[in-house]
Amino acid sequence: MENTVVDVNDLSRSFGGKSALDGVSFRATAGQVYGLVGSNGAGKTTLLKHLLGLWRATTGSVRIFGLDPVRDPVGVLSRVGYLSEERDLPEWMRVDELMRYTQAYHPTWDESYARELLETFALDPAKKIKDLSKGMRAQAGLIAAVAHRPELLILDEPSSGLDAVVRRDILDAVVRAVADDGRTVIFSSHLLDEVERMSDHVTMIQNGRVTLSGLLDDVRRTYQRSRVHFVDHMDRPPVLETALAMEGGGRAWSVVHSGSLEQFHHSVAARGGEVVESRDATLEEIFLARAGRSRQQVEAA
Amino acid sequence: MRSPGQAMLWEIWRVTRVEAGWKLALGTVGALTALIWTAAFAPPGNPTKTTDFGAVVALTFIVMPQFVGWLFLPRLNGHRPGFPLRLQFTNPVRTAFMVGVPMAYLTIVPAAAYLASALLLRAIYDYPFPLLPVAAWIAVLNLVLTASHWSARKTSVTTLIGMVFSTALMLFAVHRLTSYPDGLDWHDSPKLWPTIFDFPLTDYALIVVIGLAAFGATVARVARQRSGDAPAASFAWGSGYPERLINLFRFQCPTSSATRAQVWFDLKIRGLPVLTIAATLAIAIPLLFAVSVPIDAAITEGSRLHMSCSNRGCFYLRPMVLMFAAISLLIVLFQGGNAFGFRYKQGRVYLSGFEMTQAYGTAQLACLKLLVRSACFLAALIAVGVSFWTSLPILGDDLFIQMWGVPLTNLQGAINGFIAALTAYQLFALGVVVAIGVFIWTTAFAVLGALWTRYPRPGNIAASLLLLYGLSLALLALAGRYGIVPAFLVDAIFTASGWIAAASMPFTIAYVLWRGFAERVLTIRYAIGAVMISAAFAAAWLTVLRATGIQPAVSMLWPLPLALMAGVLAPWALNRIRHT
Repeated sequence: MENTVVDVNDLSRSFGGKSALDGVSFRATAGQVYGLVGSNGAGKTTLLKHLLGLWRATTGSVRIFGLDPVRDPVGVLSRVGYLSEERDLPEWMRVDELMRYTQAYHPTWDESYARELLETFALDPAKKIKDLSKGMRAQAGLIAAVAHRPELLILDEPSSGLDAVVRRDILDAVVRAVADDGRTVIFSSHLLDEVERMSDHVTMIQNGRVTLSGLLDDVRRTYQRSRVHFVDHMDRPPVLETALAMEGGGRAWSVVHSGSLEQFHHSVAARGGEVVESRDATLEEIFLARAGRSRQQVEAA
Repeated sequence: MRSPGQAMLWEIWRVTRVEAGWKLALGTVGALTALIWTAAFAPPGNPTKTTDFGAVVALTFIVMPQFVGWLFLPRLNGHRPGFPLRLQFTNPVRTAFMVGVPMAYLTIVPAAAYLASALLLRAIYDYPFPLLPVAAWIAVLNLVLTASHWSARKTSVTTLIGMVFSTALMLFAVHRLTSYPDGLDWHDSPKLWPTIFDFPLTDYALIVVIGLAAFGATVARVARQRSGDAPAASFAWGSGYPERLINLFRFQCPTSSATRAQVWFDLKIRGLPVLTIAATLAIAIPLLFAVSVPIDAAITEGSRLHMSCSNRGCFYLRPMVLMFAAISLLIVLFQGGNAFGFRYKQGRVYLSGFEMTQAYGTAQLACLKLLVRSACFLAALIAVGVSFWTSLPILGDDLFIQMWGVPLTNLQGAINGFIAALTAYQLFALGVVVAIGVFIWTTAFAVLGALWTRYPRPGNIAASLLLLYGLSLALLALAGRYGIVPAFLVDAIFTASGWIAAASMPFTIAYVLWRGFAERVLTIRYAIGAVMISAAFAAAWLTVLRATGIQPAVSMLWPLPLALMAGVLAPWALNRIRHT
């Protein structure tokens, strides 16, 4: 595809015999926001570090703008903005020094945009990084990552440990603006409502494998949450086709299921019940159902 | 873990086990090698003097590694002063217990390692290597160094306490070890060690008092840290230098090019701090030299009773300041390390993600970091070296006659004469050799650090095998000396070892060049540059050899490939770390 920005093919990586990524394939096109979700240790950061060329693939391939980030770090990194989860900034630097240092690497640096963001975030340029709060560090790191107008912005847990105001600043004011500008954003997050609000695409990683990937609207349409009422009392979750997770007890159950609604209605009717209400499942409900963290997990039909 | 104590011991052991192992191995193998070599090459007429010297060297070998404190321990909390096991602060254990358990480990292990080495050498050789007295002083030194690191808020205070206590201990040791009634020193005859090292009971009482005081002070300070009253001062990011030192010189980061910005970055974080330290030492050396002379003179007026006094005068402070100057040179020499800027956190070694994700080529980055570091390191060496050299006459000839039987003026005159006799071209060649030699030294540190970080287990195995190989060669020489192994076989093995070592260099260069090109780390332009610098180094080396009157033999040519090896290894090693 011509406007493919990221092309990961059958990527595998293991650490000391433990598989961190197992046959991951992932593709990102220009102008879209990609949300990467998964539980702790699922492999999100590992995947992002492969995109940046910080780690090399055991097998498979990674191409950013058609380039291998390990063999051509300059070609890739000059077009990428990155904010790490650890906010790994040099603590001895002042904010303005950080800006100047980053600017030197990027001829495309937009001075007025950087100044505007500094003012928006109310960051004092004379302040040292070590004296900034966690949220302010994230903001400083974000300005350094976006002020050169990168074609690809990679954010690893950008809102981890931040308050709602900073989170909103980062996500609403910047991520959306970058994506609207025809650029690509890939960000990982634990906050599923945030991913749901910001992303066009969602990719779910579990135990190093991609378990779900697609347009957010398509994903949400694929999964429904239905309230089901049975005539008989049920001690255990009833076996229903396409059901992924169930909550409830007795006669009233709430079910997250995939597939067509009609098929589900038939399945419930066959068990002597009726579907009271159905709606698109939220990303969190899908995640919990897929990740097996729902209170009552059901074997996939 | 069954108890908090076990958990703490496990954590400390995990961080220090490699260091403890290496200290034990280096000390023991070094001591054995010294004993074997001196036995192998002792003159047949009077072997005792040479073997006695070997025993003295062996004792030094097993003592010194345990006398430097724990080098890896600060990695536990990123080289911040203060109690490193801060995660224990929220656990339900008493502060005294929290401090006592790891402190006991850090005190006992060096003493035990020394005892193990000494007992082994005693079992193999007929020399009475001292046991308890030295082990006790090793223990208390480690205890005080640990206490100073855990108690103080500032690195400068920690360093000062360490220096003051080490110097006091050294003075005390000199006093004890030179007070044999017949005027003999500990290094004159190892047969006298049982008498010379038979320290009075008051020494052990003093050790206990120092230990208890250090422990008590540490518990009190850690208790304050635990309650948040005295948090440890934050240390600088990555470099190992205090933030104040890094920001001592303020100049704007250039934005015109990435190379200039990277030079600014490396100058700030690693270059200028080295120069500042060197400048401070260069100023301190002549001042201390100047102060020591009148003080010694004043002591000479008062007393002539001590061993340090002779008919030339008393030498208390002058040997100490001379030692300070020598240590200053060593301090500067070790500032050449960590050019790639490894960081340490909870025992983990890594490079900054921020720096490694900047759009800059790996070969250029490695080269730039090493060049900046080498240039500053060279300037620092010159500053301290010149200060040392020009200040030496202040101490006077008497000290050097007293210490080595040679007047300083003779030594300095010979070296000055040699330099004055050099032509401009030869002087230039000497400068090239020194400059590229410094670059090779800096690169060697950086490359070894990178490869050890990337491949810790194979690195440890390879280094252990090399150590064993050295010991085997020493044993072989001894066996050849006593006719157990035919002399021609010993010669053949030594010659083969030399050739293998020589052949390994071009092989390494060829392999790294091949991998470097395959991984697109190296470019033709870079390789040509490295070859040209290497050629300049080779020409300069040969010129210097001729200037010193040495005819270039095959054995003198081994340094020739070093510059090229450093040039190709550096980017390859950084690439291995940057893209793990």
